[in-house]
Amino acid sequence: MKELINWVADPIRSFPIFSILFFIVMKYYRIVGTKKFAWIFTAIAIPAFFWFMSDPNFFLIITFPDNIPISILIVSILFFTWFTLHKCAINDQRIEDGLGPVEALPENREKVWCWPNLVYTELFTIIAGTVFLIVWAIIFKAPLEEPANPTWAPNPAKAPWYFLGLQEMLVYFDPWMAGVVLPGLVVVGLIAIPYIDTNPKGNGYFTFKERPIAIWGFMFGWLVLWIYLIIVGTFLRGPNWTFYGPFEYWDFHKVVAEYNVNLSEFLWVKWLNTSMPANLIMREMLGIIITALYVFVLPPLIAASDFGKKIIEKSGQIRYYIFITLLLIMMSLPIKMVLRWLFSLKYIVALPEWELNL
Amino acid sequence: MSEVKQHLNRREFFSYLSVAWITFSAACAGLLSLAFRFSYPNVNFEPEMDFLAGTTSDYEEGVDERWKNGFGVWMVKQEGRLVALSNICTHLGCIPTWMPAELKFKCPCHGSGYYMSGINFEGPAPRPLERYKINLTPEGKIKVDKTKVYRYEKGQWDNPNSFIQV
Amino acid sequence: MAEKGLADKVRETQIWKSIFRHGPPDNARNRAAVVAGNVFLHLHPIKLKKSGVKLGYTWCMGGLTFFIFLALTVTGVLLMFYYRPTAEYAFNDIIALREHVPLGIMREIHRWGAHAMVITVWLHMFRVFMTGSYKPPREFNWGVGVILLVLTLLLSFTGYLLPWDQLAIWAIAVGSNMAKATPFLGHGGPGAMLAQIGDFVMVSDKNDVRFQLLAGRFVGEPALLRFYILHCVFIPLVVGVLIAVHFWRVRKDGGISAPL
Repeated sequence: MKELINWVADPIRSFPIFSILFFIVMKYYRIVGTKKFAWIFTAIAIPAFFWFMSDPNFFLIITFPDNIPISILIVSILFFTWFTLHKCAINDQRIEDGLGPVEALPENREKVWCWPNLVYTELFTIIAGTVFLIVWAIIFKAPLEEPANPTWAPNPAKAPWYFLGLQEMLVYFDPWMAGVVLPGLVVVGLIAIPYIDTNPKGNGYFTFKERPIAIWGFMFGWLVLWIYLIIVGTFLRGPNWTFYGPFEYWDFHKVVAEYNVNLSEFLWVKWLNTSMPANLIMREMLGIIITALYVFVLPPLIAASDFGKKIIEKSGQIRYYIFITLLLIMMSLPIKMVLRWLFSLKYIVALPEWELNL
Repeated sequence: MSEVKQHLNRREFFSYLSVAWITFSAACAGLLSLAFRFSYPNVNFEPEMDFLAGTTSDYEEGVDERWKNGFGVWMVKQEGRLVALSNICTHLGCIPTWMPAELKFKCPCHGSGYYMSGINFEGPAPRPLERYKINLTPEGKIKVDKTKVYRYEKGQWDNPNSFIQV
Repeated sequence: MAEKGLADKVRETQIWKSIFRHGPPDNARNRAAVVAGNVFLHLHPIKLKKSGVKLGYTWCMGGLTFFIFLALTVTGVLLMFYYRPTAEYAFNDIIALREHVPLGIMREIHRWGAHAMVITVWLHMFRVFMTGSYKPPREFNWGVGVILLVLTLLLSFTGYLLPWDQLAIWAIAVGSNMAKATPFLGHGGPGAMLAQIGDFVMVSDKNDVRFQLLAGRFVGEPALLRFYILHCVFIPLVVGVLIAVHFWRVRKDGGISAPL
């Protein structure tokens, strides 16, 4: 059983599984969003958690002080994802029945005094927060390793946990993409959301049905591309950034045969059986063409499809092109991951001479 | 009686206005660039960039780690050439570990692997490790100069300054 | 006439009356006065929609984030009494914070609080997205919120270096080396090659963005000082200003979102 879980947890398998799971949960959110489902899930999850904890290797990873926030994050994400789906399920049912969302009920529209209604809630939250932080601080010591030594890197050397999603991305992308361009676009994309999403519905209440594209897109980026990668980067990456299953001992000498090949090498050496051309642009032609097709030709193609037409009709050309470009760049991450696993593809465009690898 | 002209006409007003705005913007830009320049110190107290690394007879075939901690350099003797290999991973600047059993350098951050020669073969490293300028002083000592790097993908590893024939 | 209780007597003293200029908030007039007349409470509207008060709707994550920010400011100032940002002392001062000081959990509260703040700020964004609260008229405030989220991560990141242990410098080494790969501005990024005239390199490791961040070619003592200032002064000031804007705009853009 443990062997099986170790085997499944490898990103090659767990990423598709997680994506499918995400798809199912979102698709059947009305079943997932019931209290019954939550109770059944909890009833299964708690014994499973203790069974996981009984394994010494898993226990070691999970109780590493800097990993505790991630455990807290996972639990709160599980709860709040369920909770939003629960709220959305209730509201969507009500909207279908012509009742309108819960938040729009007359008793909820009624105005109440800030004191005591809001002030007391805040006071309670502050007290709960303080107690939580102090208990956490007493139980777990803040980590402190040996004094800094710039000549010797610990193995594995990890960034702070909230950047481990980015560090995991670095396995598939060059630093200038994974470290600068993609995070920058995440920030720009987030700020752009209100200006792209012109759907007037779903303002001020939970709903899924009335804004499916927005919620699908956001949740995919948030849960699959951000949280999942953080979990992989934290719990499943050991020495040398090699994959280790949750029950696997972090053996420093685990050898993984890994030899990644650039697209240009595929083209010239493997398919055409010639040597690589000396001209750089010529050498990387195929990769450059593919990238250009992806970024410049795909958006107009999608614009002609039903999906694209619908968005253009609703929000106009400019918004559509910004949206689709951001979406395509977001999707380039899972695409690159799958290509790496299937074909050991290293870079689509490999120009180390110009530090320009894609 | 000629009246002294006291008011600017429209055209003059706008030309004064644009001069004022240009001056103001230039002053702001100047201050900002001064503040920006302030963040780059002129002097900085970092370790020496060159060092003497004994004589060629000190090194055996293979990877020598004695200068790694002090200067961040591996001395690699292979195929009749002695080179000073940088110990900074070309991916994100971590320090790879020399693994004598597997005959490779392995980076702990993202798992990039390099052969003994410094050529990358696994993981995300985009290019091989860099080599530093290395030559013999008149006294026969080896001198490694880290200010000059030689990069394989630029075809610089054939540069006579990038290795010592032994 | 009934005997006056102690509480009533206290309320009638000149000192009490000078501080609280209204009676107990048990009637409409005083409830309005307590919120409007108090500099801290007047962040709130006097009355608000019931849907906006419910925990199931707001999750109180934004409030919690602000509270943790305040808690971090207090604990951070306390830590500064003992901490010297130099390569020689930093690590030992961190140990001293645990060993030589009573109530040696201050650093723990600060560190775990920082992690907790990252989590609450993410969940706050999650909630705001799911309730569509970024939609007009709140677009601008969503943007301010995103910048605050980034600054929260940067605060946490700059603070990560300060213990000056192996965990710290390698996390920052990995992080700051990404700056090296910035297109055109970093010496290891695409475009840096183009800015090269013969042997003269315009963007090198001595003048790129990473040098500016670290005040050196690698993570050393100048980087420690720079991160310390960013962590303790610069970013908190920016965050403070933006928080003020954020709260102000929540009020001005129609309060906590509710169905139109």
